[in-house]
Amino acid sequence: MKINSLAKLGGVVLVTGLILAGCGSKSSQSKKQEINWSTPAAISTMDTSKMIDLYSAQVANGTNEGLLRMAKNNKANPGVAKSYSVSKDGLTWTFNLRHSKWNNGDPVTAKDFVFSWQRTVKPKTASQYAYIFANIKNAAKINAGKMSPSKLGVKAEGNYKFVVTLNKAQSYFKYMVTQPEFFPQNSKTVSKYGNDYATNSTKNSYNGPFILKGWNGTNDTWKLVKNTKYWNAKDVKVKTINFQAVKTPSTGLNSFNSNKLDYTTLSGTLAANNKKNKAYTVFPQASTSYLEFNQKKIKALRNVNIRKAMALAIDKKQMVNKVMQGGDITPKGFVPASMAKHNGKDFASQAYVKAGTDYDLKEAKALFAKGLKQEGKKSLSLSLLGSDDDDSKRSSEFIQSQLEKLPGLKITVQSIPFKSKLSRSESQQFDLVTSAWIADYPDPSNFLDLMTSNNSYNDGKWSNKQYDALIKKSESTDANNETARWNDMVAAEKILMQDQGIVPLYQQGQAALVRSSVKGVQAFTTSPQYDFSKAYVK
Amino acid sequence: MADNAKQTSADDFTPIAGADRAKLDDEKIATPSLTFLQDSWRRLRKNKAAMIALVLLIILFILAFFSFIFETHNPNATNPNLANLPPKIPGIDINGFNGTIEQSGERINAYAQAHAGNHFYILGTDYLGRDLFSRILYGTRISLEIALIASFFDLAFGVVYGITSGWIGGRVDTLMQRIIEIMLSIPNLVVMVLLILVLKPGMTAIILSIAITSWINMARLVRAQTLELKNQEFILAARTLGESSWKIAFKHLLPNLSSVIIINLMFTIPTAIFFEAFLSYIGIGISAPQASLGTLINDGQKNFQFLPYQMWYPAIVLSVLMIAFNILGDGLRDALDPKSRE
Amino acid sequence: MAKYLGKRIFYIILTLFIVTTITFFLMKLMPGTPLTNQAKLTPTQIHQIYKQYGLDKPVWQQYLVYLGGVIHGNFGTSFQFSNQPVSYLISSRLGPSLIIGGQGMVLGVLAGLIVGAVGAIKANTWVDTSATIISILFISIPSFVLAVLLQYYLGLKLRLFPIADWGGFMYTVLPTLALAASPLAETARFMRTEMVDVLSSDYIELAKAKGLNKVGIIYHHALRNSLIPVVTIIGPLAVNIMTGSMVVENIFSIPGIGEQFVKSILTNDYPTIMGLTIVYSAMLCVVLLITDIVYGLIDPRIRINK
Repeated sequence: MKINSLAKLGGVVLVTGLILAGCGSKSSQSKKQEINWSTPAAISTMDTSKMIDLYSAQVANGTNEGLLRMAKNNKANPGVAKSYSVSKDGLTWTFNLRHSKWNNGDPVTAKDFVFSWQRTVKPKTASQYAYIFANIKNAAKINAGKMSPSKLGVKAEGNYKFVVTLNKAQSYFKYMVTQPEFFPQNSKTVSKYGNDYATNSTKNSYNGPFILKGWNGTNDTWKLVKNTKYWNAKDVKVKTINFQAVKTPSTGLNSFNSNKLDYTTLSGTLAANNKKNKAYTVFPQASTSYLEFNQKKIKALRNVNIRKAMALAIDKKQMVNKVMQGGDITPKGFVPASMAKHNGKDFASQAYVKAGTDYDLKEAKALFAKGLKQEGKKSLSLSLLGSDDDDSKRSSEFIQSQLEKLPGLKITVQSIPFKSKLSRSESQQFDLVTSAWIADYPDPSNFLDLMTSNNSYNDGKWSNKQYDALIKKSESTDANNETARWNDMVAAEKILMQDQGIVPLYQQGQAALVRSSVKGVQAFTTSPQYDFSKAYVK
Repeated sequence: MADNAKQTSADDFTPIAGADRAKLDDEKIATPSLTFLQDSWRRLRKNKAAMIALVLLIILFILAFFSFIFETHNPNATNPNLANLPPKIPGIDINGFNGTIEQSGERINAYAQAHAGNHFYILGTDYLGRDLFSRILYGTRISLEIALIASFFDLAFGVVYGITSGWIGGRVDTLMQRIIEIMLSIPNLVVMVLLILVLKPGMTAIILSIAITSWINMARLVRAQTLELKNQEFILAARTLGESSWKIAFKHLLPNLSSVIIINLMFTIPTAIFFEAFLSYIGIGISAPQASLGTLINDGQKNFQFLPYQMWYPAIVLSVLMIAFNILGDGLRDALDPKSRE
Repeated sequence: MAKYLGKRIFYIILTLFIVTTITFFLMKLMPGTPLTNQAKLTPTQIHQIYKQYGLDKPVWQQYLVYLGGVIHGNFGTSFQFSNQPVSYLISSRLGPSLIIGGQGMVLGVLAGLIVGAVGAIKANTWVDTSATIISILFISIPSFVLAVLLQYYLGLKLRLFPIADWGGFMYTVLPTLALAASPLAETARFMRTEMVDVLSSDYIELAKAKGLNKVGIIYHHALRNSLIPVVTIIGPLAVNIMTGSMVVENIFSIPGIGEQFVKSILTNDYPTIMGLTIVYSAMLCVVLLITDIVYGLIDPRIRINK
């Protein structure tokens, strides 16, 4: 999922060190089992077919539940499905559903999943995230309007058995079904409200641990209230979570300090000045911020020496520690560290290429001079595109000052709204652009796919045949062979870094203040990032 | 006495010698004949507050427009290792100027912590280690440029428009008022935002959008005042005596309008600076790494709780600028107002 | 009067028509669509989405459709909130903005009138000087600096009022104060200038000479005559409040239209920007109409039916 760095939102790992220390939070509050949470943006929609932003997805993860439920340490726990089995060829997934209910009393059945998935894929719904279903049989054709939605590779065998047929084996499909796009929908509710479906908290049905209340479609505050009809309601301890969309981090901090919020995000100087605060917590994210070179438009950027020079000229350590100052860490490569493991080894460590993320100004100057000579140029003038939130502006200004240390390189900064930046990146209207990607599911392919020659998110149009071949192999011949697939991907990442197709800037992490009395909120490095179903107040 | 007068002879009337001629004026009981401007300047000089404001403004203008002489560092040079350092003036050991800052309840020496060595920044540094003093000078210049251009349009266009509309009256007035009314009916900020979105954020877009919106108020107020003056006796008298419209406008109307014009002009300058700051605040103003007082205040206010100096200094400069403009405006009004002539 | 009103309302409609037209075509000049993942969508889907937003038709048809919609109070669908009509987006957020805006205006103007009048009556004394200093200070401090200071000192340090959020009168105090500062200063300055002029005019001298008591003179003559020009700045003050509300609502997390406007700019939500522009203009038209009527009523020299 393309993200705005403003849009960094952490899940919550309740660091074990944070026991009870409580900065005077009142015990009467604690007994209330009520949490006050902040979020940077209002809900844009609760229709899971149309959800495209992180914040709405996070709310949906509280109010609804898919076949499986994301849990700590990259586990996909049972959700609506009690159990599942995968055929030997990895193409057929069979989910056995439990007897659970919607909040209106209707049973949650396999038909609700069939209905929902078909609805998302059919062109009429105009879901902007429908491509995520591409690996399900016939999804692409249906999405292009060339086939009837009923031909989608999903089937309800009776009310409580749901069978999915994939195009290619996909080991991480279990993570995908934890995502909101794969949630069930109550067909009665959808047809009852038609166009108005899910445009406010009452025009919707919920099957998750909580029910959404007090959302009128446009407001900045809403509540998640415990859903007594949820199948596992006995384990849901917290009664109410009050959400507040906070527009400026300093307002959030002030509210936290006056006990109006139990969680607020921090960045930059605010984070630096709160590092000693006992409530300070960092939530690592499977998200990388990186610099892309427009190799289609600018010939000089096709020169590997120039790309390497620019990569080496940026001091990532200084960027993380002195500029971003929040929870970000220096990158090991394009795929974030501690996201995916195989045989106990972390992907990022295995694929680490020192030169790809290093800082060496002397070497950079030499390479840059060499590169310019090869290109027959004396100087190079480039614009750096970034979005216009505080964090992005800061990082752009920093990168500008770092790159301009290369003799003959002139950088101008352009900061524009996130959405405009996105559309300009996609249509190659830039020289350099800072992008950020957060994993939808904890698998390296989620990142590596982006840099294949034909991927529409490969904004800079970096292209490498060997890389493409390795990725293709991992998705076809090696798809059902964990180790071979893993090795393909490690090799691919190494190529990307050696050729400096992109420059990883930092791995994102969300710095936040969390009231120490709030316990049990689970955090994930990938979407949906946090889960309240086991949260409680002590 | 009267009889003696007849007896004067021609000798009594000797021409005054050159040296005595100068004394002739001693006999006059009249102030020297001064032009309108001279007279105003004379009275402005008597107004101490206004003179202080004028001097302050001159100093600020010199500092801002010749900032390259005064700045202690390059305003855009970053040095992240020395970021967020509080003000330090060597030799002064008062909290707030000695390089220490309150952090989690205790005072620490930020310069020592950052291993700043011999570096010092008299107003501290920002989040990228840029010298705040130099940035404030630079920012003042940008803000002043924007404000001056806006005011120029305000004067040049607004006053002429207002007088024409009010003086001619009739259909012309109606038409001109309709145009103004339409422009006035869109909040100028919205006009600015729309223009900036179309023109792409930047200095030119800001100047253009402020220019396009700033003259309207002036035109409206000038017209209202013209309408009122139009029916007053002295204008009627001038008319009856056959003065030309132009002459009436400049000789009689303008001086009487000056108080309205100047008061409104003094509103335009802070308004223009405010709009620039505002646009920067909502993210479509001056773009990095350029700075204006507005962007500096904005950057500063985010960390107000911890690094209050980052907002206070640009805010103080902005306020001093505004206060000076306002006081000078008041002084000018008193000086220019024909009614207050002694 | 009825004729005048009819004429004015006709002009307001004309104005809004022009505003709508200009805004519509300005927005068409700008890049940006409701599509977020354009590169990942199939042509059928893109067409479908365009159809949903009415973007599949030629621009002139879109314009007519939009115009027809505006007449019925329909401003299209927001790009940012899926399936949410802009008109609902605005109407559900109008309340808080009107409350803090109205309170700020009333407080600012009333306090400004008092400060200005007192300053004029006690002209050239320390009272006048302090009144002038207050107004100069309030005019010099940008509303967002003031808002930050109020939030920090009154909200966080002294804990007198809630820091942010929306939920009752107490929540409106700080934003109202932040908004009231600028109208207060402007009204006070204007009022003082006018009143000093009026107080030194011949008819006041005459009234004094006739032996009328001072309170009577100030109340019956000076105040009333000074109020007239002040009415003319109500319109611009309303604009001030609207502008101020955009930052103030952001700082205090108030779910109003000002905050929505800024958000729409940053997310390229053109239908919402257009809708809000028209709504802001309509509100301003009404304020101006009212002030003009009031102006005509209290100043016998200006005949509104002329």
